[in-house]
Amino acid sequence: MKLRLILLILSSMAFVFASAGGYFYYTSFKEAAFREAESKTIIRLERINKNLSQLLSAYDKPVRILSGMQQLQEMLRNAGPETLTAANQILDHFKNSLQADVCYLMDNRGNTVASSNRDDPDSFVGQNFSFRPYFQMAIMGQAASYLALGTTSAKRGVYFSYPVYYYGKESPDGIVVIKGSIELIEREMGFASDEIVIVTDPNGVIFISNKSEWLYRTAWQISPETAAEITASRQFGEGPWDWVGLKDFEGEYIVDRSGKKYLHHDVEMDDYPGWRISHLLDMQTVSQKAFKPLVVFVRPIVLTFFFVMCMSVFMLYRQASLEIRQRKAAEEALRESDARYRSLYHNTPAMLHSINREGQVVSVSNYWSEMLGYSQDEVIGKNLTDIFTEDSKKYAEQKVFPQFFMDGYCTDIPYRIVKKNGQILDILLSAIADRDEKGEIIRTLAVSIDVTERNRAVEALRLAKEELSSYSKNLERQVSIRTREITNILKYTPDVVYVKDRDGRYVLVNSRFEELFGVSGEEIRGRTDYEIMSKAVADEFRKNDLRVLQEGKSMQVEERVSHNNEVHTYLSVKFPVYDEAGAVNGVCGISTDITAVKKAQDHLRRLSGGIMASQEKERTAIARELHDELGQVLTALRMDAVWMQERLKESDPKIVERALTMCDLIDKTIKDVRSIAIRLRPGVLDDLGLVDALEWLTSDFENRSGITCVFEHKDVPELNDTVSTAAYRICQEAMTNVARYAEAGRVSVVLRADKNILILSIRDDGKGFDTAALSEFEGVGIAGMRERAMLAGGNLEVISEKGKGCNVLFKVPIVPIRQDAGETV
Amino acid sequence: MIRVLLADDHSIVRAGLRRIIEESKDIEVIAEADDGRNAIKLAREKSPDVAVIDISMPGLDGLEVISQLKIYLPHLPIIILTMHEEEQYVVRAIEAGAMGYVTKRSAPEHIVKAIHQVMSGSRYLTAEASEALALRVAKGAGGRSSLDSLSNRELQVLRRLALGHTNHEIADAYGISSKTVDTYRLRLLKKLNLRNNAELSRFAMQNKLIET
Repeated sequence: MKLRLILLILSSMAFVFASAGGYFYYTSFKEAAFREAESKTIIRLERINKNLSQLLSAYDKPVRILSGMQQLQEMLRNAGPETLTAANQILDHFKNSLQADVCYLMDNRGNTVASSNRDDPDSFVGQNFSFRPYFQMAIMGQAASYLALGTTSAKRGVYFSYPVYYYGKESPDGIVVIKGSIELIEREMGFASDEIVIVTDPNGVIFISNKSEWLYRTAWQISPETAAEITASRQFGEGPWDWVGLKDFEGEYIVDRSGKKYLHHDVEMDDYPGWRISHLLDMQTVSQKAFKPLVVFVRPIVLTFFFVMCMSVFMLYRQASLEIRQRKAAEEALRESDARYRSLYHNTPAMLHSINREGQVVSVSNYWSEMLGYSQDEVIGKNLTDIFTEDSKKYAEQKVFPQFFMDGYCTDIPYRIVKKNGQILDILLSAIADRDEKGEIIRTLAVSIDVTERNRAVEALRLAKEELSSYSKNLERQVSIRTREITNILKYTPDVVYVKDRDGRYVLVNSRFEELFGVSGEEIRGRTDYEIMSKAVADEFRKNDLRVLQEGKSMQVEERVSHNNEVHTYLSVKFPVYDEAGAVNGVCGISTDITAVKKAQDHLRRLSGGIMASQEKERTAIARELHDELGQVLTALRMDAVWMQERLKESDPKIVERALTMCDLIDKTIKDVRSIAIRLRPGVLDDLGLVDALEWLTSDFENRSGITCVFEHKDVPELNDTVSTAAYRICQEAMTNVARYAEAGRVSVVLRADKNILILSIRDDGKGFDTAALSEFEGVGIAGMRERAMLAGGNLEVISEKGKGCNVLFKVPIVPIRQDAGETV
Repeated sequence: MIRVLLADDHSIVRAGLRRIIEESKDIEVIAEADDGRNAIKLAREKSPDVAVIDISMPGLDGLEVISQLKIYLPHLPIIILTMHEEEQYVVRAIEAGAMGYVTKRSAPEHIVKAIHQVMSGSRYLTAEASEALALRVAKGAGGRSSLDSLSNRELQVLRRLALGHTNHEIADAYGISSKTVDTYRLRLLKKLNLRNNAELSRFAMQNKLIET
């Protein structure tokens, strides 16, 4: 802006100086022109004055001559036609010869008696002009000249008068007047068109002028009194004497009403005291006159020069402006870029700083401050390394700085900075050098990246990787161990393990399978049971597999397969195999050969049965021993006691009493023995069979427990000892349970045969129980019953529900009775 | 003199019985058998007037013996002598054809009387035995009847009530309280849809629970 202003001022000054030069040249030129004009004007004025004086005094002498004419004297003395004609002739003669306007003769009273214009419409004849000064002067005997506007003719004129004396007479008889035409004089004067010449009376009324519109008006301003005087003099008609507007201007010029300047010179007329001739020369005209030659020659040069100058100034200005604009734009761009840089520097979320050659901080970005907690004031001017950790400081000063000032850049230098709050920040610093024009490094521009998190993350990642790797190694190891284990298990397990797909095709089998079926894993893969087993067995397998596939849960099943003409029983656990999507896509089976177990189980069962049977047998024997042997002996004892009592009834009452006591004792003992025996094994069962035994049992139960017990039986055939014993013991156990737990009011025992099945039902109306939640203690009883039922070849059902009593059902097939059954009794 | 055959596998019992029987001057034990076969043999050889036979003997048991003796000696009155006091035996013995039934325990007091009674041609039963018999007869008589739904004790109480026993007497007989007896009575009336003891008696008679 300043430059532009300066430029503007400079160009203006150039312009001004040029103008001033021109002006001075012009004014001096003008001055000279004026001087010349002025001198010319003065000369001109002198000439006008002389000419005018000449013209105006032209009739001075003639009028004197005329006044001397006899005819006129005569006329005045003897007015008559002859004298008049003579006078008129003279007047006409003068008029014509003098080329005057009018020549006329007035008497001493001022009446016009003869005139050259007597025939004209504006004839003066008869007119009285006594008011005119020229009359008054002339009648007084003096020659007079007078300038005035004709009252009759309304023509300007210069009046010359002279008294007419009659011979020897002292006082004039009248006067003679020659009126010269002012118009004529004006014409004769030959005023130049570029000048204004005004002839004014002492009051300033313009009477003669080449500017006809100014006539009868005042050149200068006049007072009303003066105006009234002028009017009263009737010299210039009626007035109204308005002012043409000329004024003095700085003494040297005058200006008219329109402001036009005139060069003005005036001179008093020689013959008319107070009258002045004024010469007005239009300044413009003067100038024009003065410059005309100049203009003609110099103007093109000046104009051209001026134009050229203007153009060059303009061009230069433009050029300069352009330059300025460009510079400004450049500056603006620079400024903007600087601002942007500054803004970028401060607002970039990057830690930026600069240090000088001495390692002192020159500037830091806002983000830098923010990140590290140091304000700009705290760090600027300090050594950057002051906020480094010891290691970083050493590293920076000994290695990085020297290298940097050599290379002019550095990248990703890891430093550790101590933040203001004491935390350590890991950064990666990259810097470039800022050089001066000599190429010397003056400062750096460095950007630091906070890699604390990254380092931490990297560290964490590394650890995680390590962990993962160790984990995966461990996993691999475990997998390999497990695989080995499983492989070994699969290989060495005596169980048969296999996996089949949904369609029953083998996917995997273990070595035991291969061994058993004499096929290799490769051979069996993709084949089904139907290809390696009999249809019946395969059907059975497939049925079980399908059930697993359908239900999607594991099952346990016994399957029989023959190998080497021997039927093997397998306990197979089959469970669904899921694919990744969780859909069942196969079945896995683990089959354990339980043939031996089965055998052992059967053996055990037989053993158990045997034990039970022998127990029963033992019991039977003991019961019988007790009942029959001991019982019989006791009975015999009692008989003897009674006999003794009868015998000694008369002789020894003491012995009788003793015998009675004995009897009682024996009775009690018999009862005990019987009770023991019957508890071991009721004789009724062996002697009379199951029906009678149960009849007794129920009756006894009723008597003992007070629980009403109804026994019914129907179509019961003769039964073998095993079944009878089992049924009896089951009933006994069931009723014991009823008495113990059921809180029943009634028990119904039904024994009947139905299509070769013996059914024993013990039903009570007690509180019942949840069969699924039997206590171990309660369960033992039921287990015992079940065992007995099983040993007898039957089964036992316990149906019960809370609050709905309990029903124990023993079902056993009736087998034809063995011949020796009776013998065991 | 009444000639009696004694069959028992226990000699001391036989000796005891013989002593008791022979205390009665009109009864003589003419033979003693120690098992069933001998009993039949001796009975056929000696033709006793009365046979007293133990129900439990090795070889043929008492019931078998009765059955066979009924074939060979249909008119021989047989008294079953037994250690068993379960009424089931009574019923079986009577069914088999025994005329009397005496438990060994009660033998000293009853056997002589029993021999005399069977000799006179009538049965000899203890009260318990006749009751059991009555119940069995009543139950076994007409297939399924309203008695089927009664328990043994209920039948016992019913019979005794029908016989006109008082609650107290019944309670004493079964070792239960009078109150329990009354409970049984009410339950019986309800079950059998009867109104009073008179109707109960009639019902018992109709169902041959008591002999008319």
